[in-house]
Amino acid sequence: MFGLRLAKRENPIRGGQFLAFTVGLLVALLIGAVLLVVAGHSPLDIYTTMADAAFGDPQAWSTTLNQAVPLGLAGLAVAVAGSMGLWNIGAEGQIIAGAIAGSWVARLGPDLAGPILIPLMILAAVVGGALLALGPALARAHLGVNEIITTLMLNEVAIRIVRYLVNGPWKDPASIGFPVAPELPDQAALPTLFERANIAVIIAAAVLAVFGYFAARSKWGFELRVAGSSEKAAEYVGISLKRKILTVLVLSGAIAGLVGGLRLGSTDRIVEGIAEGWGFAGIIVAALALMRPSGVAAVALAFGALRVGGVAIKGQGVPASISEIIQAIVLLGALGAAVFTTYRIDRAGSGSTSTEAATA
Amino acid sequence: MTAVQLDNIWKRFPGVIANAGASLTVEAGSVHAVLGENGAGKTTLMNVLAGVYRPDEGTVRLDGIERHFAKPSDAIAAGVGMVYQEFRLIPTFTVTENVALGAAPAVLSKSALEKQVSELAERFGLQTDPGREVWQLSMGERQRVEILKALWRDARVLILDEPTAVLTPDEAAELGRITAAMAAEGRSIIFISHKLDEVKTFCDEATVLRGGKTVASSLSVDDLDAGRMAELMVGEATAVSQRRVRSRPIGDPVMDVQDMVVHDVHGRAVVAGVSIAVAEGEIVGIAGVAGNGQRPLADAIAGLTPTTSGRVQVGTHDLSQLNPRSRNEHGLAYVPEDRIGVGLAPRMNAVDNSILRTYRTLGDGPFIDRGAAEERTTDLIDRYNIKVGRVDEPLAGLSGGNLQRLLVGRELDDDPVALIAAQPTRGLDVQGVKAIQDILVEQAASGVGILLISEDLEELFALSDRLLVMHEGSVVAEFNPDSATRAEVGAAMAGAGGH
Repeated sequence: MFGLRLAKRENPIRGGQFLAFTVGLLVALLIGAVLLVVAGHSPLDIYTTMADAAFGDPQAWSTTLNQAVPLGLAGLAVAVAGSMGLWNIGAEGQIIAGAIAGSWVARLGPDLAGPILIPLMILAAVVGGALLALGPALARAHLGVNEIITTLMLNEVAIRIVRYLVNGPWKDPASIGFPVAPELPDQAALPTLFERANIAVIIAAAVLAVFGYFAARSKWGFELRVAGSSEKAAEYVGISLKRKILTVLVLSGAIAGLVGGLRLGSTDRIVEGIAEGWGFAGIIVAALALMRPSGVAAVALAFGALRVGGVAIKGQGVPASISEIIQAIVLLGALGAAVFTTYRIDRAGSGSTSTEAATA
Repeated sequence: MTAVQLDNIWKRFPGVIANAGASLTVEAGSVHAVLGENGAGKTTLMNVLAGVYRPDEGTVRLDGIERHFAKPSDAIAAGVGMVYQEFRLIPTFTVTENVALGAAPAVLSKSALEKQVSELAERFGLQTDPGREVWQLSMGERQRVEILKALWRDARVLILDEPTAVLTPDEAAELGRITAAMAAEGRSIIFISHKLDEVKTFCDEATVLRGGKTVASSLSVDDLDAGRMAELMVGEATAVSQRRVRSRPIGDPVMDVQDMVVHDVHGRAVVAGVSIAVAEGEIVGIAGVAGNGQRPLADAIAGLTPTTSGRVQVGTHDLSQLNPRSRNEHGLAYVPEDRIGVGLAPRMNAVDNSILRTYRTLGDGPFIDRGAAEERTTDLIDRYNIKVGRVDEPLAGLSGGNLQRLLVGRELDDDPVALIAAQPTRGLDVQGVKAIQDILVEQAASGVGILLISEDLEELFALSDRLLVMHEGSVVAEFNPDSATRAEVGAAMAGAGGH
């Protein structure tokens, strides 16, 4: 109608996702450069500042990694479910549930030694996240209730619970009206790895590596992909869908809960905004990784660097709005370019969509 | 009076020439069959007429006037309607809403509109209930809604793309009456089909396409017989199908199904007490019109559908309580009717699909041995002559014949005792059909007991040792293919009782 249209490629470009990400990034940086010039800045300087802030020295690396850890794990939580076609939109709430459970353990055993308390807090966080996902998992597996709705709604529940706790029973009497819990015991803080990074980096890297490899190479990961490709094909080869849905959604919640535990170990207390939107950012990370757990780590690192760079240029006098626009354009560019790995542009009327070609 | 004239139509797609100088002439007031194998270019040619594609070369004339359709709505405005195989209806809208959608007068009450729709339906003998929502309708009723949609837009030329594929025999006969009523008003119907008998019953003339070209135009259907039609479609005078010569005596029973009863979600007995025994090296054919219980029967034997009662034994094992995987491990292979989506996982690649049955045994512990998986895949590809670009690309690019050889090959890879083959050659081209039939014959010769469910009578007559007919969930007749006639089997399929 308008002369151009999208047509599905018969053979998607190989390695297209990486190519798309790179091309999308370059295009976005170009558009961002135009904006910067218009705003009276030198794009080269600004981009150098961004790169330096993200990767310039060990401290920069530690800042970037601190962003990449929750992004990567939240992305993994979403991608594990996504690889079998399930959508866990509730990572945000599961992070909160994890943080609540971790705090609860710290309140119960404030005098435990760090090497005992920290693993217990993390374990509790993992269980907390899994428990919040259990309801949606059971409802989906046994009653077919759409997990998108249930996981999304439980976010609100988790937010209300943490709000109640920090305003009520867990409120720090010394906080003079601020809705925060008392500080965690000192030994509950995760040990520092280097600069600003703590051992959460090691834990996240290990979890991402194990799940990335497992999803790609194991029989379990294979079954997930079969179920994600076609439920009927999964039944045909004797994969129990109910059990898969249940385990995958609970596992997804557990990984998100881990984020909550690690956040708790990287801060001094639980507050209402403990999840900080990491759970929702995880959806973007998983989408950019095409729901492949093995692709999440690289995306999270790039996304983390972008955030750190975006904050840094605010110090250079670049308005916050432009900084955010650049971040958004880069994400849109990468996501948009991914479309062209599976679609191409055709003149209208001359080409065919896949369905037409199939019946031609 | 010539209603439609397509001349020298060329249409190229990347890597494919779909139409290479195809022509078609359809007289006003006639029902015209367009015949051809899969890939002969029928659907492309019809899409040119319906304004979906613009031809690279060639002319489209309606009532002698040259037309250039830029989009489907141009063709609709010019009086061309098309009913696709997959209906384009909105399930939650009523019949009337679907019919009038986008073509309703600006101001008109719902009841007045419904009245107009039912008047139109009555004029052509289309039985329908204008107030019902489409999701409640049978496939035959939905097709009538599609036809009504075209008539509502006053289509002078109606294209029906393999319209009987989804219909029961009664509904097909009904369709014949409807097309006749339309032709009597001077409208033209283009009827795409593979099936000789319905072409001879419903159509006046036939045009045959092969390889994107017209090889015979406007033949009288009286001049067509099975041999002539096959010759035109395939390009050589092949015998329709050679009767299989059995190379070994039939042995002991390898698959025994007893008193199988399956109820659907509405509580209807879709399989109403079926018992079938298949012996070593035997091919037992099941004929029947689609929807008479063949699919739930096959699914129930394979363990994919819950059964109300019944027993399945393969070899010496009672499989009745086992899940599909265990049944397969006990030697029961299943080529399901839906290749893509049940037998094969569409978004996965050839390697993944090759190991769909066996991945649990490939590699120790939790990991899959990719080397062994790839070896298995290349082995299947070699043995069953499967053409794939790359084994690590999703299956989407493979042709139907290659997909089916991959599926059948994989199912036979573990030397099964018994095989259920449901519609194994449906939708394949002539070479593809022959390749699959050859594999089935070869497997029977090596002792596999095969339950062959097919809607292709020629295939059943050619391959079966015994031929059973299913009607309304029961086996209603059994025939010896060497002595039975097509007419006898056809009568049993239609529910006229066997012997």
